[in-house]
Parts: sequence; structure tokens; C-alpha cells
Amino acid sequence: MNLKLNHVAFLLFLMVVLSLTWASMSFATTTDDEVRARLILDLIDDLWRADSSESTVTMRVVTANYRRTVTMQNWTLGKNYSLVRIVSPQKEKGTATLKSGNVIYTYLPKTDRTIRLTSGMMMGSWMGSHFTNDDLVKESRMADDYIPRLGFEGDREGRSILEFILEPKPEAPVVWGRVVITVLAESYLPLVSLYYDEDLSLVRTVTFSDFVEMGGRTLPARLRVVPTEEPDEYTELIYEDIRFGVLVPESFFSLQQLRRQ
Amino acid sequence: MIGAMGFAGFIMIFYAALMEGLLHTTEQNATVMESGQFQVHAPEYRDDPDLYTMITQEVEVLNRLQANGYQAAPRLFGVGLAAAHASSVGIMLRGIDPDRERLVTEIHRHLLAGKWLNGDDPEGVVVGRRLAKALGLVVGDELVVVSQAGDGSMANELYRVRGVLKSINESIDRSGVFFLDEVFRKLMVLPDGVHEIAIRSPDDTYSLADHTQQIQNLVPDLEVKNWRELQPVVARVIDMSRYSLLLMLVITYSAVGILTLNGMLMGVFERIHEFGVVKALGVPPWQIFSLIAIESFLQVVFASIIALAAGIPLSLYFETHPLDLTGLASSSASIAGIALDPLWYCRVSVKAVVDPIVVLMVVAMLSIIYPATKAALLKPLAAIHHR
Repeated sequence: MNLKLNHVAFLLFLMVVLSLTWASMSFATTTDDEVRARLILDLIDDLWRADSSESTVTMRVVTANYRRTVTMQNWTLGKNYSLVRIVSPQKEKGTATLKSGNVIYTYLPKTDRTIRLTSGMMMGSWMGSHFTNDDLVKESRMADDYIPRLGFEGDREGRSILEFILEPKPEAPVVWGRVVITVLAESYLPLVSLYYDEDLSLVRTVTFSDFVEMGGRTLPARLRVVPTEEPDEYTELIYEDIRFGVLVPESFFSLQQLRRQ
Repeated sequence: MIGAMGFAGFIMIFYAALMEGLLHTTEQNATVMESGQFQVHAPEYRDDPDLYTMITQEVEVLNRLQANGYQAAPRLFGVGLAAAHASSVGIMLRGIDPDRERLVTEIHRHLLAGKWLNGDDPEGVVVGRRLAKALGLVVGDELVVVSQAGDGSMANELYRVRGVLKSINESIDRSGVFFLDEVFRKLMVLPDGVHEIAIRSPDDTYSLADHTQQIQNLVPDLEVKNWRELQPVVARVIDMSRYSLLLMLVITYSAVGILTLNGMLMGVFERIHEFGVVKALGVPPWQIFSLIAIESFLQVVFASIIALAAGIPLSLYFETHPLDLTGLASSSASIAGIALDPLWYCRVSVKAVVDPIVVLMVVAMLSIIYPATKAALLKPLAAIHHR
């Protein structure tokens, strides 16, 4: 009996010690740097996104086999809804993609059909670009899915910058093994994002440029994605115009709306 | 005696012809369903089947192959999505030229319902069996096909199901959608080039390897593979059945051999008394031995004539009038991509005819050694008194 009591006391002691150690460790990991990093990442994530937005974007795709330029209109509401409709070229005008939660529908005006993309199509190219359909669906928030740490702070190429290294959280539903993002130190505007796969080899580089005033914010109007495997190819998104806080109801992101020309 | 050997020889010829026929049909079916005997691709295509990895100047390549007696069918492939009745499935788009395809494979004969592709019906497509089931498609239904075209645009078009295939192979059954090649080109914005050329050789006189080499010489810049390299598993299965059939033949031949040996022994031992008398008259042993040998040889020759006279016509008859096993096997059965033909044809090859005769002769000649030696070395007195 005596022995048993000793046992219980020892176990209790152990638990207290362990929980204290754990607590102090988790305090230690949340440094000032990380708090700052998360704030900046949230800023970047919200740069093109507000509660709602309406934009006109031109996409230029250059691959070894074709070049194409597509202009589209884009509406977003929160994190879950977005609707993209092609304005030009004429051949594809009216083709629309609706993202509603984790589901993507594509409306094809030529055949007047709406198709829900199957999981097998998710890794396929979206509209012939270097983005996959999966990129559209998985709009993860960097601050939620990654553990950031400051990799570099100082001057690079004549600009004062901050470089954050983002490692995915073990349970985060993300495809990248690491993301390295470089931002301007004074404005926190992004310059370059490097995306690495699980083996930590570079897969694609996104560069941000043409910082302009748009929709009441300063934004990089141009995003260029270059796949590492094909350095001569790229997809460029050029924001022609963007408005934030527009009134789009949830019903706007419906299959009926998708078909409307 | 002659009759028994003749009958045995006849059975052997017929059996060998039947076996040859079975193997030939299996081998044919392994290639005529879909793959063709040979395939030509751009060098990297088989490792990475990319829409843009094509055989260019395909018209010239096709002409060159045909000028050398090969039947060649061009094929185009792409991946996409097919949607019907509110569900959608990933598909493999296959653009073919039905007129040329007909000369290389016999897929056009394996329809479960509807009709095969026809140039007069550009909107008509033919789909695999399980794909039709997955999308609930029947002949006449509409089918939306979506893919990424060669120019990066969103290819989409409405088609009508013209035919549903019987079971061909896993890939076609599950995801195959066949288009006319010009329809495929229009949808996928691929004005020229092909992904694959399937080839059928004009005759079987050369070996597979020789044909492969010959085709390779015709298209030095492209990758040439024969069906054995394309379908190694099927090739193994056929090889295995060839060995087991060989074993069956050996067993049959052994039975015939024992029959012949028995006949020969009887023929000699019945006449021991006579041989004793001949020996007593002063005939030397080697003369007795050769007497028996010549006698047996003549018997075998007569037996062979009977065997050939009966075996060849019968086998030839079954070459054109196959054994119909439709009652035993379902007509659309296939195993590992090989269609099972319920019609069993004979195949009269030189091998099927000569082998049994040679075996008959060798067995007869070997089996007389013992009785002939025994007769040659008889002691005359003992033999005369042998009863």
C-alpha cells in the first residue's frame, strides 16, 4: 500500500514537471520574430483578398508548345467562394470556373454544360497555365499552415528586405515542403516566393513586380510563376483593375450564375 | 502393323495441327485486338506519354512502311474528362483512322452494341465497356469531352455514343474513347503528327525479331517495339502454354512410340523359328539385321503414306471449318487482353506434318534395334526348337 502511494506521488510529480517543461517550450517557440512573421504573412495573404473583391486579370502563359493570353473577370467572397469568367479570347469567352468550398465547377459555353472536376483532374493545368486546379482550391493561409522563422534581415540588391522561411506544420494540408518568402522591409510587400517540394528541391518561383496603387492599396500588379524544371516557361498574372469590398452576395457564386454570360 | 503405325501417325499429324492452330490463334488475338504486332513511337513517348511528343512527317513514315508491305495505322492519344448524365470520369482520348486501323487490328469486330467509327459520322464516338457503365451510357447518348488542347485552350465538344466495345483490355475498358482522327485533331488543336503507329506484318515467314529489325531500318529515328516487348506478360503466358503443349506432344509421341516398339518386337519374335532356319542355312547375322531393318523401314514408309493421306486432308478441312466451341465458351471472353476465340482452327504447317513422320521413323528405327540384334545373334538350334 505504501509502495503504491509512493508510486502515485511520483507519477503526479512527473506529470507536473513534464507539463511545465512543455509549457515553457511552447512559450519559447513563440518568439517576437514569429509573431511579426505571422502578422506579415497575414498581410500578404490578404493583399489581393478582402471580404470580397472584383478584379480584371490578364493571364499570359508561355510554354515550349504554346503562348496564350487570356483576360478574365474574377470575383471572390471570403475564403470559400470565387468565380472566374473568361472575357477574351473570343473562342473561350464565357468559359467560367466556380470554386465553392473544395469543389470546382467549369462551365463550357460551347457545349452549354457545367462539369464538376473530379479528383483526378485536380493536378491538371488550370486553363493551360502553370497553376493546377488544386492551386485554386487550396487557398491555404500561410500563417495558419506554416511555422515561419526569419531567415534574413538586411539589404539585398539595394533594397532593405526580410526573408522568412516557412516550414509546414505536421498536420497542415499543404503540398509544399518549404516556402521561402522575401518581402520589402518597410512596406511588407512581397518580392519573391520560392516553393520547395517535400525533398526540399525548388519547384517554382513566383516573383512580384509593378507595385501600383489599385483599389485603395499598393499592390504588385504583376505575378510571374516560373517552374524550375522549365526555366523558359512562365505564367504571368497582370491585375488590370481590382476593387475591394464590393457587394457580392453568396448567391452570386451559384451554378445558375456560372452559366450567365 | 502398318495400319497401327499409320493410324498413330495420322493422329499425331492432326493433333500437332490442332495445337499449332491454337497457339497461332492465341498469338494473333494477342495482337489483333489492340496493340498490333509492332508499334512505332517517338523515342521518349513510351516513358513520358506527352501530347507534344509526336512522330512528325507521319504521312511519309506511313507510306514508307506500306511500300515495304507493312500495314500501318496511325493513332493519336490524349487525356481528358468525359461527362454525361451529371457525372464525369477521366478518359483516354484515342484518335484513329478506321480504314487503316481495320488492316492492323480487329477491334472493329468487338462491339458490344452499336457501330464502329465511320467517316460519315464525325460526331460519333466509340467507348469502352466499363466507361459506358460508369457514365450510364448507351448507344445514342450525348457525351461531353473536355481536355486541354495543344494550344493550351480548353478543348470541349459534344459527341454522341455510336458504339460500345466488348472487353478489350483494362485501359480501353475503363477509359477508352475512340474518335475519328480528324475529329480528334480538331478538338485537340493538333494539326499534324501522330503519337503511335501500329503495324501488322504481311506474312509470318520472317521471325518477329527480323521484322522488328526491318521496320527499325525503315524508321531509324523512331522507337520500334514488337508485341512481345509491348506485352511481356501476354508473351510469357503464350510461351508457357507453348511449353505445356510441347509436353503434351511428347506424351502422345511416347505412347505412339511404345505402340510401334511393341509391333516391331511382335514382328520379330513371332518369326524366331524362321530366323533360326535361315541362320542354320548359313545367312550371316548382319544380313538378318538389315533384312529386319529394311522390312521395318518399308512398313514405316507405308504407314507414313497412310498417315499423311489421312492426316493432311483432315487437318486442312479443320483449317477452314473450325471446331465450334461457342457452346463451351462465352463469345466475348478475354484473358489478359487476349480475346478467346471459341472457334478452334487447325493450322497445317510444315512442322505439324514433318515432325510426326520424323518421330514415327526415329521411334520405329530405334525400337527395332533390340529385336533385330536379338534375331541376328540367335543360336540356330535353339531358335529352330523355339515354339
